[in-house]
Amino acid sequence: MYNDKEASKIVDIIKNFARKHSLWIVAYGTGCGAIELPPTMTSRYDAERFGIRGSATPRQADVLLITGYLSVKTLKRVIRTYEQMQEPKYVIGFGSCTINGGMYWDSYNTIKALDRYLPVDVYINGCMPRPEAVISGFIKLQELIAQGKADGAKRYQENLEWYRENQRKVIKNWRMPEYNW
Amino acid sequence: MDKDFINENKTIEEIKNTFHSAEAKLQRKNRIIVKLRSDLIPPFLSYAKNYLSFDHLAHFSCVDWIEDNQFELVYILYSYEKNIIAIVKTRIDREKAEFVTVKHLWRQAETFEREFHEMYGINFTGNNRLTEFILEDWDDIPPMRRDFDTMQYSKENFYTRPGREDAQDVREVITKKSGEKIPDFAKEFSVRKLK
Repeated sequence: MYNDKEASKIVDIIKNFARKHSLWIVAYGTGCGAIELPPTMTSRYDAERFGIRGSATPRQADVLLITGYLSVKTLKRVIRTYEQMQEPKYVIGFGSCTINGGMYWDSYNTIKALDRYLPVDVYINGCMPRPEAVISGFIKLQELIAQGKADGAKRYQENLEWYRENQRKVIKNWRMPEYNW
Repeated sequence: MDKDFINENKTIEEIKNTFHSAEAKLQRKNRIIVKLRSDLIPPFLSYAKNYLSFDHLAHFSCVDWIEDNQFELVYILYSYEKNIIAIVKTRIDREKAEFVTVKHLWRQAETFEREFHEMYGINFTGNNRLTEFILEDWDDIPPMRRDFDTMQYSKENFYTRPGREDAQDVREVITKKSGEKIPDFAKEFSVRKLK
């Protein structure tokens, strides 16, 4: 009875509903924000009631949390981690360091705007954001997923040239593998 | 007062008797400061380790005295036997930053020396591991030297998101509030080049 377009719409709604209730985070902590994740995960704030859980490897995870400042050396590893992740994948910028540099605004070795290098879906501000803020950020991400607006991975593929150019500007000695999606 | 610090004063006396040019003094309980010429450092550290029982290199740090055109190396030694911390200070030339390694006395000195080589550009002869350590692909002058302008480097290399133009210099704000003056040496090496 349905035409293809409507059918795919319904499939998308079901897919997004399932995705938003199963967010696996890569166990990768950059900077100081990673210390806010254990209380978020454990009994007091219990993020698992929203379907948020930790995952051991990037290939089995959905969400990459950038928890705090990113030095150029870490950025290299983060880019590799992000490119290893399989779709659907989302990035959450965590803390003011990822937004505008935070207290490392004049540092010689940290980047100041994360969305120049990786596609960010949700920013959580604060220094540090408390577990309530983290959970509210995740709920925002869930809303975006349900609406089909969390399209960071798609943006990354479409604007890969622009992201690569920015990445190469700070990573001077480029020895990164090229992934073929 | 002398009665309370028998151990400390005895150690200071021993140091003064052996190294006549050493400036050794008591700082407080369990803590002495020794200032030495840089060429006396290897024999002094060896003496301190073997005869004064300072077995442990607790810390090793570097200070950039750009006003005097010198680097200050600070060795912090600890003696388990006497329960005394000895702070050994020496100054080396800043232009030709070279010193000898002490890794034959304490192995952990090697790691500290690698760090100083990277962060201050000091070359330690005898240490053959002075390679890239924490920074990757660094191509400017060593970043912990005080003549390195970190803000300018950051501006040139990293994108700055607009919206922080009204950020204030902390030092300026504090001095304005309390009414005290910024010392001249601080003005000269301040990030914003105050006048």
